[in-house]
Amino acid sequence: MNKKRALTFSITRTVAAIFIAILVATLLIFVSSKGNTVGAKFSETLVALRAMLIGPLFRNNGSFNTKGFLEILALMVPIMLTGLATTVMFSANQFNLGSEGGIMFGAFITALIAIYTPLPPVILPIVSILGGSFATMLLLMVPAVLKAKLGVSEMVNSLMINYIVMYIINFLLNTRFMDRTKGQVQTLNFQEHALLPQLVGRGTKLSLGLVIALVVVAIVATVMYRTRWGYNIRMIGQNEDFSKYSGINVPFYIILAQGLGGFLAGMGGSLEMLGRYTAYDWKSLPGYGWTGVTVAILAGNNPAYVPLAAFFMAYLDKGCEMMSTYSSVPAQLIDIIQAVIFLFFAADNFLAGYRQKLVIKSAEEDAKAANEVQVEGGK
Amino acid sequence: MTEQLAIQMKKITKVYPNGVMANKDVDFEVRKGEIHALMGENGAGKSTLVKMIFGMEQPTSGEIYVNGEHVHLTSPNVAISKGIGMVHQHFMLVPSLTVAENIVLGMVPTKSGVLIDFDKAIEITEEYSKRYNLVVDARAKVANIPVGMKQKVEILKALVRGAKILILDEPTAVLTTQETEELFKELVDLKNQGFTLIFISHKLNEIMEITDRMTILRGGKFMGVHETKDTNPEIISRLMVGRDVVLKVEKEPAQPTDAVLKVKNLEYVNVWGKKMLDNVSFTLRKGEILGIAGVEGNGQKELVDAIFNFIDVDSGEILLNGESILHTNQANLRKKGISLVPEDRMLFGIAAKASIKENILSDRSGDPKYNNGVLFNMKAIEDDTKQLIKDYLIRCKSPEQEVGMLSGGNIQKVVVAREFTNDPVLIIADQPTRGIDVGATEFIRKKLVELSRSGIAVLLVSADLNEVMELSDSLIVMCGGEIAAYFEDTTDLDDMEMGKYMLGLAKQDEEQIRKVRHE
Amino acid sequence: MGFFEFVFTVEFFFSIIRITAPIIFATLAAIICQKGGVSNIGLEGTMMMSALFGSLFAYYSGSWIVGVLVAIITGIIVSLGIAFFAFNLRTNIILAGTAVNMIGSGGTIFLVKVITGMTEGNQLTSTNGLISTRLQIPVINIPILKDIPLIGGVLSGHSLLTYLAFVLVFLTWALLYKTPIGLNIRSVGENPNAASSVGVSVIKIKYTVLIIGGILAGLGGAFMSMYYSMGWSQDMVAGRGFIALAATAMGGGEPLGGLLAALIFGFAQALSIKASAVGIDSNLVSPIPYLVTIIGLVVFAIVAREKAKKPHKVKESA
Repeated sequence: MNKKRALTFSITRTVAAIFIAILVATLLIFVSSKGNTVGAKFSETLVALRAMLIGPLFRNNGSFNTKGFLEILALMVPIMLTGLATTVMFSANQFNLGSEGGIMFGAFITALIAIYTPLPPVILPIVSILGGSFATMLLLMVPAVLKAKLGVSEMVNSLMINYIVMYIINFLLNTRFMDRTKGQVQTLNFQEHALLPQLVGRGTKLSLGLVIALVVVAIVATVMYRTRWGYNIRMIGQNEDFSKYSGINVPFYIILAQGLGGFLAGMGGSLEMLGRYTAYDWKSLPGYGWTGVTVAILAGNNPAYVPLAAFFMAYLDKGCEMMSTYSSVPAQLIDIIQAVIFLFFAADNFLAGYRQKLVIKSAEEDAKAANEVQVEGGK
Repeated sequence: MTEQLAIQMKKITKVYPNGVMANKDVDFEVRKGEIHALMGENGAGKSTLVKMIFGMEQPTSGEIYVNGEHVHLTSPNVAISKGIGMVHQHFMLVPSLTVAENIVLGMVPTKSGVLIDFDKAIEITEEYSKRYNLVVDARAKVANIPVGMKQKVEILKALVRGAKILILDEPTAVLTTQETEELFKELVDLKNQGFTLIFISHKLNEIMEITDRMTILRGGKFMGVHETKDTNPEIISRLMVGRDVVLKVEKEPAQPTDAVLKVKNLEYVNVWGKKMLDNVSFTLRKGEILGIAGVEGNGQKELVDAIFNFIDVDSGEILLNGESILHTNQANLRKKGISLVPEDRMLFGIAAKASIKENILSDRSGDPKYNNGVLFNMKAIEDDTKQLIKDYLIRCKSPEQEVGMLSGGNIQKVVVAREFTNDPVLIIADQPTRGIDVGATEFIRKKLVELSRSGIAVLLVSADLNEVMELSDSLIVMCGGEIAAYFEDTTDLDDMEMGKYMLGLAKQDEEQIRKVRHE
Repeated sequence: MGFFEFVFTVEFFFSIIRITAPIIFATLAAIICQKGGVSNIGLEGTMMMSALFGSLFAYYSGSWIVGVLVAIITGIIVSLGIAFFAFNLRTNIILAGTAVNMIGSGGTIFLVKVITGMTEGNQLTSTNGLISTRLQIPVINIPILKDIPLIGGVLSGHSLLTYLAFVLVFLTWALLYKTPIGLNIRSVGENPNAASSVGVSVIKIKYTVLIIGGILAGLGGAFMSMYYSMGWSQDMVAGRGFIALAATAMGGGEPLGGLLAALIFGFAQALSIKASAVGIDSNLVSPIPYLVTIIGLVVFAIVAREKAKKPHKVKESA
């Protein structure tokens, strides 16, 4: 298939997957919306759909919803980083699902540094972010080392680590680090100079974190496609035996990929804390790790597409939140929409018939051009 | 007329999802009760054609008739119900199950409809085994039986299912000469009992020996059908490849110099406790091609794996230019100048979904030429890949094309383009031309000779007797993990004699075998 | 009172069995799937959904039997979904399972809110309280056995599903090794080409193992919401679907081995509950089963590696 046809196909496919997801969403909204008559339900559905699909960017009167837009950008930060983390780890064919626990861990470590370390401005946020990122790197390297050295499934171990991290952080939060002057469970406030500067007003919570995240996207994209480390990570993901035979140190790159993934996931937590919070108060896993998996799938494991995919997911998230405000439909609808998009998007055979048609067309054209059939046995 | 035809295929075209056109307007007819050969080079579309007869693939267009009835063979199940059976090139057996369990798989006899009737399964197996004179051990686990018996299990599987038309895809590829003769006797027996047999092979002499008619494919297209008795090998080979096959490789006599690779007293017992390398010692010198012949599974694979550190040997030494390379990782082996053309190219030789460029890069991504310490020099990589594509006649659209989309021969050219160009002192070529087309085969063979004459040591492992005898300057025969024979000169070797050593019917004396150590 | 007398009471061993049962259901599901060559990581989400619908339908119908049946049907439907995406549309099975887990964690909350009409204002996203003792899966006191001191206290008085879990270990083994379908499952898992070459439909078998897995996960879900807890609550399965994958690996992919591995987790969790009963912070003891899983997998891997080396070594010295 030539490049143009391949592009046509992947765009069609993306649009179709999103369309199906919205169709499913509409159905669920219709069923779940209040109203005694079909007509009432129908109009409620329209209200909900409008809030979800258009609401994040346009107010009811049609004016641009600047605040909504900035909130979406702010929301992109953590899921871009978990998305990148998953992209790197999946590229190496490592199904490490620990970015969920990883982002919580990174957030907590960053919080502790930002509260207790007597460091000057500028240095403090940098140390806090790097501290959280490196600590998480070490955390996700646990399943990586066990995989590389003993062949234990990184998937199961990383899932277990998510739970362990959550309980241990809760334990520490409840005992040693709780601010007992507050009505709810949270740490002391971060030192004022640890917080990341806001890009616009404090209200939208859009911080410098977005810029940092975008720079990180560019760096990761470069590392993955323009350096031998990224190349080797991708090769072990494509074919481990081939990589070993080629002289690539497979165990090292298994660990590197997951360490890098951990670093990125942890940084997601760090930026989230210093950009949008003044104290740590997460008591359960935040869900950004799973959204990161969706982002990675939507981006086709290519770091360059991560911002786009993250924007889409953040938009949907914001849309579902708007929807639950303006209608009776619960915001958790997003988990179902996300799953549907994800399922179709990751489906190789989705629209396979259409692809086959394009392929045949290309093959016939090739054959004509070469004036002889290109042939191969059916292995 | 059509009543006499067991199989009739009309204007069959098959395009795979990856865009490869495997068959184009092919007509294929098989008469009832004949042994019909389907011939063609690798990649000519034979496998695809028979897969369509057995319902494993569906034609993109065209019609299939079985015994005169127009059929849609949508799955092997449908094909089986039409009386078609297939013996696959790679055995379709479940190793942990017994012979009887494998034979009744999919049609298991039961007690009261729930539990497996194991006794009945054995009874069925033994009954058919006796009726068609195909001797197997019904109770043995398939993992533990020899290759020849596995093949009989495959044939029995088809017969038990009521097959009247049997497809055999390269049945002799894995058999010894003796086993092949036995098989032929059995096939002729089956023919005499009224079975129809479709026989795929590359080996002309076999085809001439047992078939009645043959259909020839080239480049996915039908090249004609012939009565075996009215034709001869030269005509067939011309039809198959479209030119006269050049079997001879021109080469100057070798002038070996210093020892490059020294293997000393290598011993290896595999995890199942079988001794795979038994006191193997030899020396390979600069500028020569040392061939290793033998029936597959006699330690050749383990020898290559030992040199390339894929297994840990129990004892012995491996020296490269006098320096031990045991337990050296693959990166360092490559730095020391060892190249390997691996036996299984899809598993080890390439990453199928990566581009040609990325596949070439795999062993040299750290090379300062392509690296400024941090970033790749994309232009240098691109330029060198283009040069290699030109030098190695790799037929592709661009360096960015996925390797998996290329034909087998072109994939192998990508592998050798990489392995031959990293300044090797030693090239290990393990089955370098297996399953690829004549053009690529010739090209790779010529390259190997050329490289050896330029002073590189070449270790050639091949189950293709022709290849190993033709290319090697000197030759080792391995049998049962031991070196059974060493020939310093390959010019007037006799293949019957070789066969004796390969099958363990003979072994040279220690004196002669020791010569390969060049001490 | 000594430590051992305090910990190892009749109630403690009783609780091990109670806690192990849902892990057995999930582990058997994972084993059957694995034998058929399917890695089903969606068991967690499947159990969440079965738990939800089971408890809701038990409440609405007023019958625990209906609840269990609906839980099973839910398990089947979800598994069919995984199968359809994985085998017909060729979604990576790990990702298909992950999607199911997403729906299991967030999607179930959506469904609870929609179905029961509970809103954000209502803090608890759970159906606790819907399941009364009457709707609980009945407890069975085994005659004679229940009167034996100690043993009776440990083995008698469990729920119907608890006993079923242990019986299913044997049934799963029999299914795999004594029936035609089991032979087909093992052949598909070991060499799918061989199976399809004799007309065993690989895709049908894969659907079958997922459906059986769905039934088992459905039972596990019903157990969770209709016996273990009195209703459904957010993330109540708490990783048991994942622990099952670990138990499968540790048990060598065999039903009996899986049972033993599940018992180890049951023991670890019973111990952690005991610990929190004496005032140790529950956040400190809750991670124990997850930690045990990791340690268990590591130990299993080391043992397996040593084993793999053994025959080799024996020959060497011989």
